[in-house]
Amino acid sequence: MPEAPWPQRLLRYALIALACVWSAVPILLVILSSFKQPKAIFEFPPSLFFTPTFDNYVRLWTVWPGFFSNLSSSFIVTCGATLLTVIVSSMAGYVYARYSSRLLTASAFFMVVVRMLPPIIITLPLFPVVNYLRLSDTHILLILLYATFFVSLSTWIMRAFIKQIPFELEEAAIIDGASLRQRLILVVLPVAAQGIAAAAIFVLVFSWNEYIFALIFTTRNAKTAPVVIGEMLGTAEGVEWGVLFAAASIQLLPILVFVVLVQRLLIAGLTAGSVKG
Amino acid sequence: MGAVRLAHYGMVAPVQVLLLAFIFVPSLYVVWLSLHQSTYGQIPVFVGFENYAAITADPVFWRAFWNTFLVVNLVVYGELILGFGLAMLMSGPLPGKRYVIALLIAPYAITEVTTVVMWRYMLEPDVGMINYALNGLGLGQLAWWQSRFQALGVASVLAIWQHLPFTFLVLYASITTIPTELREAARVDGATVWSEFRFVILPLVMPALLIALLFRYITAMRLFSEIWLLTGGGPARLTEVLAVYLYRQAFSYHDFGAASATGWMMLLLSLTIAIPYLWHIHRQMFKNA
Repeated sequence: MPEAPWPQRLLRYALIALACVWSAVPILLVILSSFKQPKAIFEFPPSLFFTPTFDNYVRLWTVWPGFFSNLSSSFIVTCGATLLTVIVSSMAGYVYARYSSRLLTASAFFMVVVRMLPPIIITLPLFPVVNYLRLSDTHILLILLYATFFVSLSTWIMRAFIKQIPFELEEAAIIDGASLRQRLILVVLPVAAQGIAAAAIFVLVFSWNEYIFALIFTTRNAKTAPVVIGEMLGTAEGVEWGVLFAAASIQLLPILVFVVLVQRLLIAGLTAGSVKG
Repeated sequence: MGAVRLAHYGMVAPVQVLLLAFIFVPSLYVVWLSLHQSTYGQIPVFVGFENYAAITADPVFWRAFWNTFLVVNLVVYGELILGFGLAMLMSGPLPGKRYVIALLIAPYAITEVTTVVMWRYMLEPDVGMINYALNGLGLGQLAWWQSRFQALGVASVLAIWQHLPFTFLVLYASITTIPTELREAARVDGATVWSEFRFVILPLVMPALLIALLFRYITAMRLFSEIWLLTGGGPARLTEVLAVYLYRQAFSYHDFGAASATGWMMLLLSLTIAIPYLWHIHRQMFKNA
């Protein structure tokens, strides 16, 4: 395309820069402020250059010693939910990509419909059942719930990726006498690795950050990091901003780095999962 | 590729079992619960539609309903306009594009809880930088902790900030699939920027735009944390949205019947919005079957 005249180009750059400020500056403020002395946190204008202190992190360690076990809870739940989602939706995605029957189509349509239901309503009937089964406050419950809400999207993504793999690859394996399982594990999945990664991102980010199920279904053992950050914000004695920022920074940095690294797959997954229906 | 065998159904089964056990059956159970009076340590008593009558007679419910209506529309259309604009801006060549996109999608990685944390920090009474700056300019401050509509406005801004990456990415992915020749041809034929947008880009992006719109309508209706952690629904339950109303009925007042009736209404509302999309998908799927 021919270059636009310079005033137009300048305007475009300025607007893009503005959008970057809008999305990145609040995050930057949290991270920077976590290294500031409490009395410097509300300075105006906020200083960019200052002597960093780790006091807030030390205080987080002493005042909220449980936070680190909450982080490990988040980690366990995230890994579990991601693994479960990837395994079950790879299998289902393969079948939906390669075979068709009325029953399969009906079940695929069912998958799309349940995606429309608001998750919060299932807390009502699950609450007594979960208590009865002694599943309340366990990692396994959160893993099952998080996986459930993403198997549909992930299956859809896997189906789209597997559809692009030529069936001839599998035929060669069939001639060599490979079983369905061998074909799937040795032939299809290695080629669909990108699809698996794309399908994993969404459930991974969701599980690491989820708030409302964790708020309702965990009390102590399985409590995740976002719930505790919420508690820090809601303390009656006034919010300790420095400590809060330290906790928020620890929680957000790994996942932020991850999302930035996988951005291409994120776009591919979104396209495969939602746009193509 | 052969006929569908039992093994294939077996491979689909885990996904379907999860959906049935944790979404479908509980959703039906919600209907049953909504027709009963039920709280802790009490056997549910069948009351017919009394719970529905009770919540539709409750002014707090209707306030929550209209609050949700307002926020959802602000969020969805705000995002759509900003997301489309941003996708258009980003569609040409740009130095360091990969890094710019990384900055733009960063909010997607942030938990809703931290989103509330950062915006509350900027909006703290008197000392938060936005209120401090507004005060300094003599404009007074945003009193979201005491004004219903300011609180809802702030919650909407939070939700837009959080979800703009989704809308942006969907539209951006769609715009980048438009062949450059098509846009060039329009210009050679003397199309203005506006008519290029209106007659070339918009029609081609429309399917993606409708899907983004629908998904955001359905997910925006679930809005909970932004209000819950910002105002708790207060002052005096003025700023509750449907999800917060449901949560309060269930977990503060232990009235599971009323909460279920609210939940079932949210579900019907979601499905009603989704009908055109579901209809379309249904036709497409069964045409190929």
